[in-house]
Amino acid sequence: MQKKSSHKKNNSFSDRSNKVLPAVFVLLSVLLMLLPLESPVMSAKVLLSYIFVPQIRAAHGAVEYAEGVNKTIRALLDTHGENERLKEEMAQLRLENAQAREVFLENERLSAALHLQTPRIWGGIWAKTAYREPTQWNSVIIDKGTLEGVQERAAVIAQKDGEPVLAGVVLEAQEHTAKVLLLRDEDFSAAVYASPSGEEGLLVGAGAADMKMQYLPFLSDITEGEKVYTSSASGLFPAGILVGEVTQVGDEEGMHSSLTARVEPAADASAIRELFVLTKPTEKQK
Amino acid sequence: MSDTLKIFILFIVSTVLHWTFMTIFGGVGISLNVMLVFACAVCAFMKPAYGYPTAFVCGLFLDFFGVKLFGNNALTFTLCASMVYALEKRLDFEAPVPQMLGVFGLSLFAVLFNVALLKIFTGFSAWTGFWPFVAGIVLNALLAPAVFWAVRRTCCKEKNN
Repeated sequence: MQKKSSHKKNNSFSDRSNKVLPAVFVLLSVLLMLLPLESPVMSAKVLLSYIFVPQIRAAHGAVEYAEGVNKTIRALLDTHGENERLKEEMAQLRLENAQAREVFLENERLSAALHLQTPRIWGGIWAKTAYREPTQWNSVIIDKGTLEGVQERAAVIAQKDGEPVLAGVVLEAQEHTAKVLLLRDEDFSAAVYASPSGEEGLLVGAGAADMKMQYLPFLSDITEGEKVYTSSASGLFPAGILVGEVTQVGDEEGMHSSLTARVEPAADASAIRELFVLTKPTEKQK
Repeated sequence: MSDTLKIFILFIVSTVLHWTFMTIFGGVGISLNVMLVFACAVCAFMKPAYGYPTAFVCGLFLDFFGVKLFGNNALTFTLCASMVYALEKRLDFEAPVPQMLGVFGLSLFAVLFNVALLKIFTGFSAWTGFWPFVAGIVLNALLAPAVFWAVRRTCCKEKNN
C-alpha cells in the first residue's frame, strides 16, 4: 500500500477536475504558443516582469554578494600592485586621449570642409549578466534597464582579452533588466566588413553553427582568417568593433552570384559576464 | 495559513533559487531546473486543483526568459504534472529514491520535449550537448529530496506532526 500525504487524502479527489484541469492548461499553453510573438504576448511579458523581476534581482544580488566576499579578499591582497599598474595605464591613456582628441578635432574640421556627415559620439553603461539559461544560449538578461538608459535595439559590447568585441543587441528592455539577443541567434544581423580585404557584407546568426557573412561579391578576395568588424553602414553599431574571424568562404547558395563567409564570433556566449550597452549616439554639431 | 499562500511563498523562494542556480551553473552550460522539481513536488503532495496551476505558472515563469516561443515551458510543465499524478499510483513520492527517479525521468522528458517544441515551432535548436544535458537532469534528481521535503513540510504539516 502506497503511503500518501494525508493532506491529499483528506481532500477528496475529484476525478472530474483531474481530467478537466490538465486539458484546460494544455489548451491554454498551446494557445500561448500559437499566438504571434507580438502585442498580446509582449503585454503579458511586461505584466509578468513586474511579478518576476524582484525575485530575479534578489537572486542576482545574493550571487553577487557571495562572489563578492571571495573576490574582495583576493582583491585586497592584489590592490597595491594593481593600483601601481593602473596609475601607469592611466598616464598612458591620458596621453593617448589627448592625441585622439586632436585627431578627432582634425577629423571634424575636415568632415565639415568636405560636407561629410559629422562623427557620432557613442556612450554607454556597463551591465552584468544577471541570468543565462543554457537552453536559451542565444540570449542573456542583464541587470540594467530603461531606468539606467538601456534602450531596445541598442548595441551590446563585450570584452575579450581587453579588446571590445560585439556581443549582441538589446531585444527587450524593462525598467531594471534587459534581454540581449546574442550574435549567433538567427534573428541577429549587422552590416560588417572584413579586414584586410575590405569586403562588406551582411552578417547573420546561424544558430549553433558559425555566423554567415552574406552577399559578398563572387570574385571577392576575402580569405579565411580575416577579421570581421562592424561597418559604418550600420546604424545600430559603431564602426570598427571586432565581430569575429572568417573560418570558411564558399558559394553556399550555389548560384555563382555571391559568396558566403562563415564567421566565428569573437565573443564567447558562455563566457560573457560584463557587457557594455551603448546608449544613443549624439550628433556632434559644428 | 492557506495552502495557496504557502504555495505562493514556496514559488517565490523557488524562483529565487532557480535564478541563483542558473547564474552559478549557467556559465558552464548546465541547466538546473528548480522550477520543474518544485512543480513536481507540489503535484506529488497536493491535489490537482493546486498542482496543475502551480506547474503552469512555473512554466510561465521560464517562458518569461525565452525569446523564441511563449508557452512551451507551460505546456511541458502541465504534461509533467499529469505524469506525476499518473505516477503517484506506482511510485511512493514520500521516499527519496522514488522522488529522485521521478524527477530524473520527468527532467529527461521536459528537456527533450522542450527541444522538440522549439525545433517544431521555431526551427531553433536549444540542444546544448549531451554532457550538460545529463549533468542538468542528474542535478535535478539530486535536488529533488530537498525540494520535496520543503514542500511536504510546508504544505502537509499535519502528516509530520
